[in-house]
Amino acid sequence: MTSWRKPNNRKYQGLIGLLVLLTVIGAFIVISYTLQTNDVTLTEPPEKLLVFDFFTLSYSWQAPPLFAVIAAIATGLIVVVTFVGLELGDANLSRRSHDAIHKKLSPWVLMESTQGVFNGEVTLTALIPAHNEEALIGATIRSLMEQDRKPDRVIVVADNCSDRTVAVAKSLGVEVFESFKNLDKKAGALNQALEKLLPSMGENDTVMIMDADTVLRQGFLASAIKHFTDDRGLSAIGGLFFGEDRPGLIAQIQKNEYTRYSREINRRKGRVFVLTGTASIFRARALRTVAEERENLLPGVKGQVYDTHALTEDNELTLALKSLGALMMSPPECMVETELMPSLRTLWRQRLRWERGAMENIATYGITSTTARYWSQQLGLAYSVFALWTYFLLIVLQIVSSDTWVWYPFWILMGAVFIAEKVWTVRNAGWKARLLSSTLVIELLYDTFLGIVFAKGTIDMAFGRQANWGDEQKHNPPRHSSKQHHAAKHRLNKHQTLEREAKE
Amino acid sequence: MNYLDLFQGLLLPESFMQSRFFVILATLVALNTVIYAALSIVHVIPKWFKPSWMRGHRPRGVTRSIYPDGPK
Repeated sequence: MTSWRKPNNRKYQGLIGLLVLLTVIGAFIVISYTLQTNDVTLTEPPEKLLVFDFFTLSYSWQAPPLFAVIAAIATGLIVVVTFVGLELGDANLSRRSHDAIHKKLSPWVLMESTQGVFNGEVTLTALIPAHNEEALIGATIRSLMEQDRKPDRVIVVADNCSDRTVAVAKSLGVEVFESFKNLDKKAGALNQALEKLLPSMGENDTVMIMDADTVLRQGFLASAIKHFTDDRGLSAIGGLFFGEDRPGLIAQIQKNEYTRYSREINRRKGRVFVLTGTASIFRARALRTVAEERENLLPGVKGQVYDTHALTEDNELTLALKSLGALMMSPPECMVETELMPSLRTLWRQRLRWERGAMENIATYGITSTTARYWSQQLGLAYSVFALWTYFLLIVLQIVSSDTWVWYPFWILMGAVFIAEKVWTVRNAGWKARLLSSTLVIELLYDTFLGIVFAKGTIDMAFGRQANWGDEQKHNPPRHSSKQHHAAKHRLNKHQTLEREAKE
Repeated sequence: MNYLDLFQGLLLPESFMQSRFFVILATLVALNTVIYAALSIVHVIPKWFKPSWMRGHRPRGVTRSIYPDGPK
């Protein structure tokens, strides 16, 4: 890895769009050429079936030729294998690296420096950044204190609070760090706290950063500490999030999404995409190294753990750690309940911020072996959007130009495959999850919604539009006080239920 | 008559479906659908992890534990 240079975002801004455009043009050329040479026709006259004497059903056994099906499946699999290969290649590079200059956090480098020395038991300091969170902070602190393995220290990082956050935290007996003249919101407040905290921390000291509206599932801390104890080479553990118990369709859609995400991480044996800002634990040395390498191997300001310019600072920190060769994982026991967006409008803002943040981060890092997987993910997303929208376009064109409605058993079978997949991947998440998935249409519409978010994010980025919308939402959620109170109570109840479940 | 037919053929002539553009679009969508259906099947297939006895136990040179005398 070469030394990090000033960000040249513009260079990469249009790249994803360009690649997708080339793929699409390529597909059109291949298909037109095939049609010209093979004279494949897709429009055979449909057959008629008379049902109950008065209802005529038109159907057609038409299906793509076998060679096309095989070629399509092969293309899909080759793309997936390439994407996975890119990621595994980078992971193996870090795992085996002894390069103490560029891969300062690779497991071997960490292990060689602590070989044969006992640096004390693993300790855990929890940092909770909070901006006017008086209603929720109590439940969060209690959820930490009720863990089987309690944190050694809990520090609430109060950032420009004008409510009783500090008083509530102190009344529960935890430490409070108040940010000083901080203009960089959550990331800035955490930077100030970490700057004071990290220098005195040893090899086996860890720091957990968790949001003030988050509840950990029982066993989270015990499992994380066991992993850090068993593996000197491990740099970070990320929580696997699941949705809070909120009623409604929009909440259920998000819950399904998180269920699938967790399933995917478990299938990847805990290999992390993003160390969530909701609750993640870092070896102090890993955070110190990131702060030292900013302006050298990493973007940002030297001495600061978080890059305050990043819209999604947790995603940026993940990239920073990965670039330095850090080993990180999400064990299945480390689960955390996360807030769900209550409306389409808030969901839109949240997702736009995530999408824009992710793209800005990979644009800042450029194309490296670490970011290759993230670039390919964006490319895959872009192609999915194209595929879904052409699918809808075709259906609309067919409806407005066809004289009769024709049923195609082959395509009904394809639909059944999609439904089976959607239902199977949320089968353990309750009947509501399965019911929602079985309709397919709702989740297809949601995919369309995410597609629009993606397109908007890409276009905004390509035209260099400012991106501070949604940011305010994140750091200073405009909540009504009675609603806040209700939410706090709800979370507390939820937490007690979870704990009961864990005990049983 | 199928009630769905009432809404059919309102804007474009049926011959549009024989046009080169439509056939290419239909083929593209068909291939995409097959690709994504294949990926769906990949998602459903249970992931198989090698059991430890098949991975072969290669003792490490050093322990990964924080305890210098921990298991290798």
